Amino acid sequence: MGDYEKIQEEGQFKVGLDMPEITFKEVGKREVRRMDGYEKASGKAVYNRDIQIPGMLYARILASPYPRARILRMDTSKAEGLLGVRSIIRYDDPEVAGKELNGSYFAPEWVNKALAGWALKPVHLVLGDEAFYEGQPMAVAVAADTEGIATEALRLVDIEWEELPFVLDQEEALKPDAPILRPGEDSNSISGGDLVEHSHEVGDMDKGFSEADTIIEFRARRRAHLWAGAEMPCVVLRWRGDNIEMWVHQQQPYHAKMLLSEWLDIPMNKISIHSPYMGCAFGGRGNPSNNSENGMNVLAALLARKTGKPVKFLYDRAETFFGESGDIMISDFKVGAKKDGTITAVEMHNNFAVYMCTNGIEHFIENTRIPNLKCETVNVDVSIGPAWWHRCEQLPNVFCFTLVFEHVAAELGLDPTEVALKNDGYAGQDTSALVKYKKENGFPDIDSLKECIETGKKAINWDENWHLPGARKLPNGRMHGMAFTWDHEWDDCRGTGSAAVLIENDGSVSIIGHQADVGVNPWSTYCQIVADELNMPFENINIKTQDLDSGFAMMSPDGSCCLCSNGNVLRKAARKAKGMLLELAAQKFEDVEPQDLEIEGLEIYVKSDPENRKAIKKIVKKAMPMFDSCVFWTEAPVIAWAWHTQGIWGNAISTGRPRLCRQAHFLEIEVDTETGKIEVKKLVNINDVGKAISPEAVEGQMYGGSFMGVGRALTEEMIWDRKTGVLLNRNLLDYKYAAMNDSGPIEAIYLETGLGHGPYGACGIGESTPTIVPAMFSPAVYNAIGKWIDDFPITPDKVLKALGKA
Amino acid sequence: MAFDTFETLKEHALKEHRQESTPVPEGTITLTVNGERHQVHVEPEWTLYHLLHDRLGLLGIKMFCDRGACGSCTVIMDGRPILSCMTFAIECDGMVIETAEGIAEAGHPLVDSYVKHHTMQCGYCTPGFITTAKALLDKNPEPTEEEVRKALSGNLCRCGTYPQHPKAVLEAAEHLKGEN
Repeated sequence: MGDYEKIQEEGQFKVGLDMPEITFKEVGKREVRRMDGYEKASGKAVYNRDIQIPGMLYARILASPYPRARILRMDTSKAEGLLGVRSIIRYDDPEVAGKELNGSYFAPEWVNKALAGWALKPVHLVLGDEAFYEGQPMAVAVAADTEGIATEALRLVDIEWEELPFVLDQEEALKPDAPILRPGEDSNSISGGDLVEHSHEVGDMDKGFSEADTIIEFRARRRAHLWAGAEMPCVVLRWRGDNIEMWVHQQQPYHAKMLLSEWLDIPMNKISIHSPYMGCAFGGRGNPSNNSENGMNVLAALLARKTGKPVKFLYDRAETFFGESGDIMISDFKVGAKKDGTITAVEMHNNFAVYMCTNGIEHFIENTRIPNLKCETVNVDVSIGPAWWHRCEQLPNVFCFTLVFEHVAAELGLDPTEVALKNDGYAGQDTSALVKYKKENGFPDIDSLKECIETGKKAINWDENWHLPGARKLPNGRMHGMAFTWDHEWDDCRGTGSAAVLIENDGSVSIIGHQADVGVNPWSTYCQIVADELNMPFENINIKTQDLDSGFAMMSPDGSCCLCSNGNVLRKAARKAKGMLLELAAQKFEDVEPQDLEIEGLEIYVKSDPENRKAIKKIVKKAMPMFDSCVFWTEAPVIAWAWHTQGIWGNAISTGRPRLCRQAHFLEIEVDTETGKIEVKKLVNINDVGKAISPEAVEGQMYGGSFMGVGRALTEEMIWDRKTGVLLNRNLLDYKYAAMNDSGPIEAIYLETGLGHGPYGACGIGESTPTIVPAMFSPAVYNAIGKWIDDFPITPDKVLKALGKA
Repeated sequence: MAFDTFETLKEHALKEHRQESTPVPEGTITLTVNGERHQVHVEPEWTLYHLLHDRLGLLGIKMFCDRGACGSCTVIMDGRPILSCMTFAIECDGMVIETAEGIAEAGHPLVDSYVKHHTMQCGYCTPGFITTAKALLDKNPEPTEEEVRKALSGNLCRCGTYPQHPKAVLEAAEHLKGEN
């Protein structure tokens, strides 16, 4: 096997518990001093928006004022004449005319049209003359001395538009008289005339429904929300000769390089990328369907080349309202269940607007024993921006999952935790299939769901507090409601990454790999892993990420699964580096072989003679006398790199990795029947994370995600004016997400069963709570007032309407 | 006529010509930022954010919501937390301003307790929270948890770090009490 093939072989994930041969010292420890902490707390952490270069120009792009329109004529002469305007690029300039945003990486041959949805379809040009939604970046970009001048220049661009009919609602878009939005198509259904775009059926639906004691039918709706990250997108770019140096706020900086290289036809080795800290990403900074990534980078490069100056290309807050979460959906459910809560059949029809992620049925397949499942999906184009995955793409799946289970429990008057346990399983089989898998692959035989439910019930005092719908009025006059939901964990069955571990000449250790600051405190977590693998102190490890465009890409293809991919990368690289270090050390001890040696702290010792030890810095250093002085030479560097790959996106079963970890969440609310206001009294998250590598980071993902979930459930909604198609709340005053006092206490409890497929038995945690928490609010409201409001967000007006008061 | 020092030149100009030798141009303000005095010329449309962040390089003041909704650009001006994105620089003549950088450099215990309690994720909003919390502790050294929550309720954090802030602020308050 050649060297390269060996790396590939070592990079493959293999099912089976890969327990370490190390002692955990840093991994799992609390109060490890986080590496980004002081910088972030002191205001000294630099983000992309903070980058300034002498002589830098500011660039901006025009936003379409119409939801659907075509440019008939554009006059930029006034803008060109404005003092301080340095360059303008128009849609009809030859360097951009007709050129697509992303090139071949997102071309149809790479992406399944029917599944990928509109977001990845190459209908967007880097500078188009046709608007498909209000606010679409298009037509003209300006570089000027200041942001204000660039903005003013855009105002001076005189455009004659041809306004075209538009449609905002995905059901209206399918009516025969609806305008067809995309050129050359005969339907607004993304797959064309066939309205069932994606269909999944297992088992026998007729049989499933005939076995049921009761059939439950209901409709639910989720309205648009979005990532709305803290830092507004920008890129800073300058040319150095024919090389490009750029600062990006993107989850996958390496992708930025690939795309830009192809677009500009310059080799990748002439592009250097810096990744400063990122003010949130959540998928929103990994969205290729909008101008805010490669489009922005391309235009910055062209403007910088034309002007000979560095360019900072900026979005303002209104312009960050792009990329709705891919769960704008209207769903119809039909569920068959037996009296004891056993679900016999689930049928759903999901109508998505500008859809871009999962179809709704997948968690029933991966997580339950329900034998008969059917899901029909329609993806419909409407006149709003392309949707994208935002923390996370499982939103449709957990939306459907929670609502089905909670409707069944409520209809049958059963405790929903009992219904969950009754249906837990895997691909239509009961939990004995999981027990068998755990046994065969060396996992502990633990019933994760049972543990999660028991823990959570205690934390929220479920047995005492839970009641039948509408049954508890509180002394303050409000109605008390409780809800529960469950799911499997995010197993992270996908992702690749690569990185190197280098022992520097003083014995300190560097992790080398290009990574953006995605996750909670990821860099400390990676250093904890390397520290324990090398049996060195945490403080001896550092990660060089921000300014190191090294070719090693510590990122998974979609920005998720970072720890599960990179954790394995670093384990492998650290072990190889350790082997190399011990080989070198053996040459410097007398009569020992590498396997006779062990690392402890900053030293290496002989296992059979622990007193016989040498400092690592003396082992890796090589000083050679020369003439009368001492010239420093080096040993062959102790550096090892590794690659890791696992699974296929959204395909746990076919990659042979059933999900073993579970999670359970409990919610307690009060509903004010006079105002319709919903107050969160308590939220309990129980996540079986397999193994917590950084406990505070795990908890941070849990309560942090829950806050995001509360906002999504109660207030977050993008609202378009039906007459003009204009998005009305393009700011953070009118688009509200949860703040300090918008939730009662959130208790984040994690369990460590070792049932994850990630490093040390871990699984993902970053995406689950914000995705799962929102749908719990509808069963909680039902439990409080006895009325279903399956229309999200659940705003006070909907509560009052349900109560017959509005 | 020769002048030994710049001071004697200034005296001469005032005495003989009845004007400043170096007249201060219109639009010049003097302000104290983190204990340092600055004399700067500002354009009328500059916000205090623009002056402090873009001109004085205080990068801890963050542009997040773009219009006074999030608290990330908070600085302490004459003892009060204010939004620098909603304040014109030209109106800040003579003001005393503190930012997160100054708070950290002065060794305020908030910084350490924020790090210890992981009161940050992406960290973009963190300096704004710390600055707001510092203004609270200056005014009310022994706040209740309720008072901390109220003081910080105008600051947005997309990562949802909210539960950690009262812990970090109350611990810093304890620490300050011990120091005094």
